[in-house]
Amino acid sequence: MERIVQGTSPAEVVAKLQKADGYYITNTARDLSQSDYKNRILLHTDILAADARERAGYFSLEITGGASVHVDILRKQVDPFLKLEILREKMPTTMFQTLCRGVNLFGYRPYPQNIIRFTVKEFAKYVDVWRTFDFMNYVPNMQAVFEEVAKAGKINEPCICFSTGPEHTNEFYLKKVREILDVTGEDIILCIKNHGGLGTPQRIGQLVDNIRQKHPDLPIHYHGHNTDGNDTGRIVEAVRNGANIVDAADHSFTGFYGPPPILTVIQTLKDMGHTAIGIDEAAVIESSDVIRDERQYYDDFESQIKGFQPTVQIHKLPGGAMGSSLEQAVKGGFLDKMPDILHKELPRVQKELGNYWSVTPGSQILWTTAVSNVLGGERYGNPSGDLRNLLLGKYGPFPFYEPETWIYEKVLGENWKTVLEDEGGVEDIGDMDIDKEKATLTERIGEEPTDQQLTLYLQHPNDAVDFFKFEAKFGQVHVLPPSIFLRQGGFDPGETLIFTDYTGKEHVVEVGPSIVSAEDGETSVYLNVDHHQRVYSFEPDIPEGAMAKEAIMSKEEIIVLAKAGDMRAPFSGNICEISVEEGQQVVQGDKLAVMEAMKMQTPISCEMDGIVTSIFAKVGDSLQPGDKILRVDIDE
Amino acid sequence: MKTKILVANRGEIAIRLIRAIQELKYEAVAVYESPDKDSRHIRLANEAIWLGPGPRCDYLDISKIIKAAKKSGAIAIHPGYGFLAENPDFAKACEDEGIIFIGPSSKVISDLGNKVIARSIMAEAGIPMVPGTKDLAVGDEGVETAIAFAAEFKYPVMLKATCGGGGRGIRLIESDEQMREEIPVARAEAKAAFNDDRVYLEKVVIEPKHVEVQIMADSHGNTVHLGTRDCSIQRRNQKLIEIAPSMIGDKELLDTICDTAVKAAKAANYFNAGTVEFLIDKNFNYYFMEINTRVQVEHTVTEMITGIDIVRTQIKLAMGKQLSFEQKDIQMRGHAIEMRINAEDPKADFMPEGGKTVTVYRSPGGYGVRLDGFVYQGYTIPQVYDSLLVKMTVHGYSWNETVDRLRRCLQNFVISGPKTTIPFFLNIAKDPDFNSGDFDTSYLSKHPELFNYEENANEASKLSNLIAEIHHRGHNPYAA
Repeated sequence: MERIVQGTSPAEVVAKLQKADGYYITNTARDLSQSDYKNRILLHTDILAADARERAGYFSLEITGGASVHVDILRKQVDPFLKLEILREKMPTTMFQTLCRGVNLFGYRPYPQNIIRFTVKEFAKYVDVWRTFDFMNYVPNMQAVFEEVAKAGKINEPCICFSTGPEHTNEFYLKKVREILDVTGEDIILCIKNHGGLGTPQRIGQLVDNIRQKHPDLPIHYHGHNTDGNDTGRIVEAVRNGANIVDAADHSFTGFYGPPPILTVIQTLKDMGHTAIGIDEAAVIESSDVIRDERQYYDDFESQIKGFQPTVQIHKLPGGAMGSSLEQAVKGGFLDKMPDILHKELPRVQKELGNYWSVTPGSQILWTTAVSNVLGGERYGNPSGDLRNLLLGKYGPFPFYEPETWIYEKVLGENWKTVLEDEGGVEDIGDMDIDKEKATLTERIGEEPTDQQLTLYLQHPNDAVDFFKFEAKFGQVHVLPPSIFLRQGGFDPGETLIFTDYTGKEHVVEVGPSIVSAEDGETSVYLNVDHHQRVYSFEPDIPEGAMAKEAIMSKEEIIVLAKAGDMRAPFSGNICEISVEEGQQVVQGDKLAVMEAMKMQTPISCEMDGIVTSIFAKVGDSLQPGDKILRVDIDE
Repeated sequence: MKTKILVANRGEIAIRLIRAIQELKYEAVAVYESPDKDSRHIRLANEAIWLGPGPRCDYLDISKIIKAAKKSGAIAIHPGYGFLAENPDFAKACEDEGIIFIGPSSKVISDLGNKVIARSIMAEAGIPMVPGTKDLAVGDEGVETAIAFAAEFKYPVMLKATCGGGGRGIRLIESDEQMREEIPVARAEAKAAFNDDRVYLEKVVIEPKHVEVQIMADSHGNTVHLGTRDCSIQRRNQKLIEIAPSMIGDKELLDTICDTAVKAAKAANYFNAGTVEFLIDKNFNYYFMEINTRVQVEHTVTEMITGIDIVRTQIKLAMGKQLSFEQKDIQMRGHAIEMRINAEDPKADFMPEGGKTVTVYRSPGGYGVRLDGFVYQGYTIPQVYDSLLVKMTVHGYSWNETVDRLRRCLQNFVISGPKTTIPFFLNIAKDPDFNSGDFDTSYLSKHPELFNYEENANEASKLSNLIAEIHHRGHNPYAA
């Protein structure tokens, strides 16, 4: 049996999978990076592994999508399209795979239909296999993506998100498979998306078997996470019961929440008589060997809590969100509350909110609600805007049952019934004027953007502009190895850094002294760049204490000021919308602005009737509690 | 006291002249305008004389330069190229003051500088020429002559300023209507640029090659040629790349052209170094264009393949010496290519990067590369003078070897600060047509893709900027 190569049509791919005597493997590098390294594995490392991964003979390399598109521009400062372009050149035959959140694309909330289509069209130029899911398993949320992928001649891999509990029966999932096939037709691969790594091997085996009995020709791709340490067991049962493709990752980088090691899967299944089709085991080992030394530089991004978490069967957090959740707990100083949050509050919230699938963005809603319930004292006392939208049905209908009415009351207010009636249901988001957005972007970056730049901007406007400016200032930084890009504590005096720029030119940088001017506190960093001395100056930092003292206020103070029309940021986060203009008449309850923190949006509501007299904050500003947003005065 | 020679120029050519003067054990006297007070040519010269506040007026002021020569006691003046190099009044002023002008006589400069007189001298000597008119009469009469000429030789025709040169004062005319419109405009422009409003017409040679011959003549009746140069790659009639020898046709054709050039020089009573320019059409017909009465920017390619120092020879001839070699002694070896590394943005119509500072300058080296530079690390591109940083000439045994060397040397340059012509030249060095020697004056218009390159000159410095920040903050704030 031969491997399937890039450029094969969806129908041919499906035909080959149907005839396959054995199983295929997807190298889930992106999910590994997201689950175990907070998405920080650099393109530099992927390039290092590219040659061996190309020879290893995978069904596909899952290398983009999920949160990675955002993190690429936000934290890795790499163009997600350039990444694919570079890797494609080095890996001409391997199919590239993405993970797309349906109507939420690679973000956290629904996008207009024309943006979805525009984005899919641009990414489909590089991406061969489109794994698409919806956290409510609501098929209409995925339809636009399905259509664009089919139009581009690429492979659709719709997901049924998997979870456990009394409602999560084989019958339910078979019904979902039917719903998907009714929309997509037969030339697809079905993905069982076990983002939490839930259920036992036996449970997964039964599910695969049930689908296989009902749909003998439907290729099945099992995706899981190793959070409980037992995903190899689930993979084995999936393959034994007829799954055609499974997900795993390079062993030298495997951690606790991502996919299990590829080699372990191969060895276990080989002993049972199942062949990994197209796989060159030596190249699988080589891919791990060539990147092994790089792992040390990602140390800071590995999980704060080490060890497998079999309790995932209780809290159900998806592997992809484990790292970032624990990071928040560390940063927020509530690591000690984690047992309460994870093992008591999360399962409770989950049941209360309808036992839907804990995966982006639904998992963030469960997580922030549980955190706020535990830390805030009053359960559902401080609901996020996204929880509100969930209850309003903006993300789709609840799959099994609706939350109890007291939760609606807490979140939507006393007259929740009217609110639900007026605002409820899947929102029909109007198309965005792409030409207008393009004009705005042109103005912001000072030149006409490419379609790729526009795509990034339409998804993450402020972060994309920041990235374009970064690129103009610092160049293509993916050429810097993690030992430079992620260095902590500065470089050693006299240290020599060698790297090759994107044109293939090698550069040598020697680190010289840093001298602080006694006069103005400016630091001059001396570097010998290609044997020529260069000086880089940095203005002195404003002491953090001074800033913090002025800004941070107590919650009570902020509420008192808000009642008087002085709107301050109630928590630390970014302004993502200013909803009013200066001079605008407002009444109590009007939405004035929207702030975002931990990927969740929260509206800032007006506390009095009046007129907006001044606006201090602008979209994209990062505010501390107590920072001014705007001012409302009584209209006289 | 040592014998002094004054260098009436600035930039790389001033340095080139100073080097030759000093090698001959003379002392070099530099002159400068105020904006050039820190210029490198002053530092290399034995002494320097301030001309005035400038810019670009004192270098053109004949009396100030003559005064400087007298003040310093220089016995000779080398004008270089540009500025006063082809101004017969300057040569005349030198002759009147008893100062040796390193170049031909004022009479020769004057005759050859006038396109119409030059053409009549050449016609008499039987040198093949592009058909053309005499100076057009002022007013309707001239326009009618022009239209009649165009009717005979077919449009397009070239309208040229009689006293123009170096690619300036030329316009392409494609219709009677345009002719009527353009003649007065051309006159006005010629008047402004050359203080002479005479214009004339020439037939246009379609997609010609531009080939020129370096000649040297002593005052003892000997005239030789140093072979050909191909200057076909031009932008708006300005040479961009010069190559020696020309690779057009066969040896016989090139020999004939060179012999014609010697004949033309003799007909003009030429003395010292000069360049006879020809246009060559698709059928290898060649036409005399003009004689440049100065040392050319591109003289270096001829020096590389002949081994003869043209500037040194110029000085010796001006001092009354005989040519120390005969035609049969001159050997041509290999190929040479010269490019001007300018601080310009080719993508923005070669807009000069005046005011920017060269923060990093690293030059190529090794076998077969010659740099005639003006730039140094810390150099600020002047707003008021040209933007040439360094002239690079590469030499190789075969054409392939020469182009390989050219590419390597361009890649070896590291220049940070201003945009330069390097990435554009690099594209030419990689272009298959250029590599196979297939180019004429239409080369640039046929290869718009040469302008497709990414600015990477600053990549190392940009990345280092990030490295400095990671170092300073103790972590990468953009990866937090």
